[in-house]
Amino acid sequence: MNIGYVAIGAAMCLLSCVASGLAMGLATGKAVEAVARQPEASGKITSILLLGLALTESTAIYGFVSALIMMFTLS
Amino acid sequence: MVTNWIGLGAGLIASISALFWRRAESKRLAAIKTPTKKQARPKKMATALIILGIWVFLSEGISLIFGASDKGEFTVELFAPRVSLFGLSISSTVLVTWIAMLALLIVALILRLTVIPHLRDIPSGAQNVLEIMVGGISDYTEATSGGGLGDNLNAYFFSVAALMIASAMVELFGVRAPTADITMTFSLALITFVLINYYGIRRKGLKGRIKSLAEPTPVVFPMRIVSDVAVPVSLACRLFGNMLGGMIVMDLLYSSLGNFGIAIPSVAGLYFNVFHPLIQVFIFITLSLTFIREAAELTEE
Repeated sequence: MNIGYVAIGAAMCLLSCVASGLAMGLATGKAVEAVARQPEASGKITSILLLGLALTESTAIYGFVSALIMMFTLS
Repeated sequence: MVTNWIGLGAGLIASISALFWRRAESKRLAAIKTPTKKQARPKKMATALIILGIWVFLSEGISLIFGASDKGEFTVELFAPRVSLFGLSISSTVLVTWIAMLALLIVALILRLTVIPHLRDIPSGAQNVLEIMVGGISDYTEATSGGGLGDNLNAYFFSVAALMIASAMVELFGVRAPTADITMTFSLALITFVLINYYGIRRKGLKGRIKSLAEPTPVVFPMRIVSDVAVPVSLACRLFGNMLGGMIVMDLLYSSLGNFGIAIPSVAGLYFNVFHPLIQVFIFITLSLTFIREAAELTEE
């Protein structure tokens, strides 16, 4: 299999990082607004934010792992 | 060669002169009562120059002693290299996991023999730390999994957390972390899958568990099965991807800095090798408990 095709496919896999980064930025913005509205709940908001960020980051990780597997086993 | 000696000399001169400068600045600042930020700035600059001088001195010294670093090709392996042990070919992940397990066992033995026989009502020292760790995970497991599932779940998740943290600590010694191998993370996720089904069947019976997969309408039955299979796959991929990404970034940092990689990689390593694994352990445990709670929950009473 041509390495050019594999490279293009792996690069297209990593486009999911765009959406993941956008979503995580929006979530952090809302969390900062919530803490500004009620600073006593900052501990709970932080733990919920971290949980949500790690779950959202996993879509970017799926793209990364798929690109890695493509680069290493198809050429 | 000559530039190395020049750098050595420059670093030495810079750090020694900055030492004298800092001493003079401290004497001048001690005379003022409350120094403003602008007055305290020369002392900070002197401290920075000392550190920079020592860094340049050590790096050039290493270049002189060991020769220039050869910047060859940068390769990363997807699967861990295999070693041969007593005629069998084992992945190095398994070997490093055994070493981590041995270290954990030795720590547990030491704690069992020295701390447990002298338990007191008012804890102090090592007993305090133990109580904080065990109590913290126990309360968190009870709260997230809805309670009533027994104490063995707390003990299992404590062991999993200890194993994952020990695997991450191994990376500080330059060895490839065991959790950066998809076979190990998939094994852990498979145990979670077995636990989810075990608690679901124990609460609802086998027929109840299958019926709960057809919860709103029986049409969604195939989709529920696929999403149930996707749970351990996503757990495994998340842990594997995060650990492998951290390892790739640290390897890139080390190989690009070459002989100058003295203090900078340790600062970056603090984030990638200590903070990242802790967050991933927390996420793994939280997600496993959430899925177990969802499977073992009775909705009609």
